[in-house]
Amino acid sequence: MNRRRRRQTLYHIVLWVVALIFFAPVLWIIINSFKTTSGILSTPPQFIFKPTLENYPDLFARQNVTKYFTNSIILSSTSVLIALVVSYLAAYCFSRYKPRGTNFLMFLLLSIRMVPAAAVVIPVYLMYVAFGWKDTFFGMTMFYAMFSIPFSVWILKGFIDGVSPRYDETALVNGGSRLHILFRVILPQVAPGLVAAFIFNLIFVWNEFLFNLFIGGRTTTMIPVMFATYLYNDGGWDWPFVTTLTTVYMLVPIVAVFVFQKYLLTGMTFGTVRGEV
Amino acid sequence: MRVNTSEVKSISSPTLSTTAAWWRRLQARLTRLLDDARFFPLLLILPVLLFFLIWNVIPTLWLIGLSFYKYSLISSAAERYVGLRNFTDIMKDVRVWESLSRTFIWVSVSITIQTILGGMLGFLFWGSAKMPGRRIALTLLFTPMIITPLAAGVFFRFIYEPTFGIANYVVRLFGGEANFLGDAKLAFGAVMFVDIWMWTPFMILITLAALGSVPKAELEAAEIDRLPWSYRLRYIILPHARYVLMLGILLRTIDSFKTLDLIYILTRGGPGATTELIAVMLRRKAFEAFELGWSSALAIILLLTAIAFTSIYIYILNQNSKRQGVTS
Repeated sequence: MNRRRRRQTLYHIVLWVVALIFFAPVLWIIINSFKTTSGILSTPPQFIFKPTLENYPDLFARQNVTKYFTNSIILSSTSVLIALVVSYLAAYCFSRYKPRGTNFLMFLLLSIRMVPAAAVVIPVYLMYVAFGWKDTFFGMTMFYAMFSIPFSVWILKGFIDGVSPRYDETALVNGGSRLHILFRVILPQVAPGLVAAFIFNLIFVWNEFLFNLFIGGRTTTMIPVMFATYLYNDGGWDWPFVTTLTTVYMLVPIVAVFVFQKYLLTGMTFGTVRGEV
Repeated sequence: MRVNTSEVKSISSPTLSTTAAWWRRLQARLTRLLDDARFFPLLLILPVLLFFLIWNVIPTLWLIGLSFYKYSLISSAAERYVGLRNFTDIMKDVRVWESLSRTFIWVSVSITIQTILGGMLGFLFWGSAKMPGRRIALTLLFTPMIITPLAAGVFFRFIYEPTFGIANYVVRLFGGEANFLGDAKLAFGAVMFVDIWMWTPFMILITLAALGSVPKAELEAAEIDRLPWSYRLRYIILPHARYVLMLGILLRTIDSFKTLDLIYILTRGGPGATTELIAVMLRRKAFEAFELGWSSALAIILLLTAIAFTSIYIYILNQNSKRQGVTS
């Protein structure tokens, strides 16, 4: 018994070590965000040092940082909310009415997300310039909503398929209107699906870079673009700033995955593989 | 859309309504319209179609149109219709072929390593249900794939940094000196290492899901029969786990084919063109050289490739659901 227990403990330690190895590069950045500039730049790298918090107030004192953070939050949440409403209606339609071409439409939607962003960005860029949507909140939000719709439709259709049509029939027989069925009968039952779709699209939009770089601009810049364009400081990178910024920025997805771990698999496979780990 | 939400409000609070009679009549008519079995589905699907039309159909048509023109944003010359010239130019361009073969190597090598490593580690994590702090450990493990590739790029810019980076520090301990991202011989491997770091957790996740889809009863039967592990793997685990694994690999293949953000921040395709994958090349041609006609033609080729991959993906997905439909 004791030996089995010891083996179990060893096994768990090995698993923890594996997890920590994958986390190590992230941890290294987090550690470095608590160093002074000279501490970060020292050779050999310092492993033992006196931690300082001074980089964090500096971060938010910077021009534009708060603004870009607000942009990230506003753009990702509004676009995903719009996408959820649109996708919920479509998913309900696909699941219950199965109009002709449902499979084809579902395929088209998924293929949108499979296409290399670099291929899409050219025409979208030209279209946005022509329509005057470049660097507007409307343009960015709607584009990101489009970006989030395919995955939301896939996952919500899966969830709605899981709710028996008997519910619809019963409600209808008892005099409920179709809207009542849609929002009062079915919606509460697919709430987990809505949460999963919301969280994972939020993460995808939160992390998006290329479109924000090309169809966004000064007013709609989010943090990832800032990494790529604004971080040079007299020829070199401004490391204290970069490390603190990444640490703060990645907190959102990390916390989201910690809280919503059940949905991780569904989220990362665009709702096509279901289950938990 | 607007019709819908206002309807919801009025339906959910009919007693509160103090509206005039005509408004009630309008409402009744709308409700009747909504209850029309032909009209209602159309209404549901309309917003998605609208989005699809504006943000997909128009850009795609635009892209196809552009690909037949010689069109540059920087030259003052007007765009000129050249027919299929852009496509034939791409076919003849050595750099495109080099970049494509580089992408092919990138995809095949990194996916192979991720699958093998992820599969093995996934097996290791199978049965970790009672692990203390499992949720935290898994969050740490899955962090690389959910942070923005830009941040991942930043981490490794920091780690690979030749003067104070920790990677070169380790190399120096062994008496060497390496500039991982600046050296043409090392850059490709160094960037691929980052990709493997980012996406092996995904294959672990997929492996765990695949193993979870193996029926417990069959595993227990094998345990009782003391079936050797190689047999269990071949006759019990793989037949059940195969589909989810294949979906995972295919999803990774499609994703890896379009790697851009990571390389953009790590090397921008350099040094030379050693890390210039096809998506990186496309971005450079379109937004640094501004050859939009040529780039559109290349984009169409990539688009068709992606659609081909997606159809294979959906085919496997359908096979999988059909199979599950039979068993459950």
